[in-house]
Amino acid sequence: MKKYLIIAALATLPVNALQAADYTIDPGHTYVSFAINHLGFSTMRGKFDRQSGSMHYDPAGKKASVMIEIDAASIDTGHDKRDAHLQSPDFLNAVEYPTITFKSSAVTWSGDKLATVSGNLTILGVSQSVTLEVSAINCGQHPFNKKQICGFDATASIKRSDFGVNYGLPAIGEVLDLQIELEATKNE
Amino acid sequence: MEQILNRPELQSAVAPFVIALLAYLGLRKISTLAWLWAVCAAFLVSVLLINGVTVTPLTGTRKIILLVLISFVAAALLPRLLPRANLQRAVAAGAAVLALLWVFWTVLARMEAGAIALFVAGSIGLALWLLFHFDRLARSDARLHAAGFSLLLGVGLSATAAASALLGQLALALSAASAGAFLAWVLFAKKDATEASQAPITTLPYVLAPLLLGLAAVIFARLPWYALLALAAIPLAVSLLPLKPDSRFLSALLSSLPGLVIAIAVGFWVWQTGSPDSGY
Repeated sequence: MKKYLIIAALATLPVNALQAADYTIDPGHTYVSFAINHLGFSTMRGKFDRQSGSMHYDPAGKKASVMIEIDAASIDTGHDKRDAHLQSPDFLNAVEYPTITFKSSAVTWSGDKLATVSGNLTILGVSQSVTLEVSAINCGQHPFNKKQICGFDATASIKRSDFGVNYGLPAIGEVLDLQIELEATKNE
Repeated sequence: MEQILNRPELQSAVAPFVIALLAYLGLRKISTLAWLWAVCAAFLVSVLLINGVTVTPLTGTRKIILLVLISFVAAALLPRLLPRANLQRAVAAGAAVLALLWVFWTVLARMEAGAIALFVAGSIGLALWLLFHFDRLARSDARLHAAGFSLLLGVGLSATAAASALLGQLALALSAASAGAFLAWVLFAKKDATEASQAPITTLPYVLAPLLLGLAAVIFARLPWYALLALAAIPLAVSLLPLKPDSRFLSALLSSLPGLVIAIAVGFWVWQTGSPDSGY
């Protein structure tokens, strides 16, 4: 009986030794946010409210891939006028380039944990190689809906001028710290 | 030095104004279309200061920059190649339609059919309106330049207030350059140049630049479309006050006043309606 209880308890915990599977990003539990220096005074933070994508995760085979599509017009810094400016051709040009994408091309592992995800980040139609540092990744069964879930936290730093987003340089920060907290549901 | 060159007021006001003024003075004895070359040179310097030499990715804004520069060259060269006025008018209208399609096609392709029809009808209507009125204004240098720099000022102020500093800066740079060449014309043009008639195609930059920058501010930023309608009254308004044939200065002043009033009023109105709170 004790053996079965232990097995049942373990089954509810996030585990990493999973079979290879494809996942669809859960927009309700995925947060793409950023921080940038504001005129040398402080750090300004913002996020994107709409994103979608997919991932493949195979810890046994040491394979993984991620594709994220972010709606550029969903930028939200908690200030309507600034958000309108950030969507304009001065920054993200969201009407002409409505989607920001990240497509992974290579991953590294630390033991059985995903350590980095490298790939192409495309902003304003310009693609640059970016490496996401994965600080945590956990997979397991969702305790309520019983679906198989994978989630990870990752960070990266990019130079916005590399993507042609030059407005306000150097007063408004050049380096953008990206933070991605993502959950994805295993495809049925 | 870099800090000074990065200042928007230098990039979009002082530099284009001074360069156009000096270029006009240098070129006025060489070419009867000195103003076109002067404004083009000043705008090119502003573009280099604002945008650098980057052409890729070829965004709508960069397409507009290229088209405006090409329109200056075409306006200066085509009167000799196409001497017939009606042919020039047809070329100008065709160029405006093609320019609209090139700049906005990527956005139009994602729109619903109804929205496309509305945009095409509205933008071509505005283009024809501007072409018609600038063609009429080409009979008076004072009114032509007054309408050109006032309309560009209005588009620049409105675009800036509608959350696109880049589009605003480009329009303001063109306005400042036009004002510089206009002032040089007022002060130094030959006496018999007072009412020299311009060939229809020479007005193309004054049509294309505000048309494309204004529509870009509507489509890519937050400029209300009806602000463009209000600004479209400027080419009409510059003819409200009579010219003073014996004084270029008074003619320039009387032509400029109505356009300036509309440009500033619309810019202020967009700023008020689009800014529920203070700056950030």
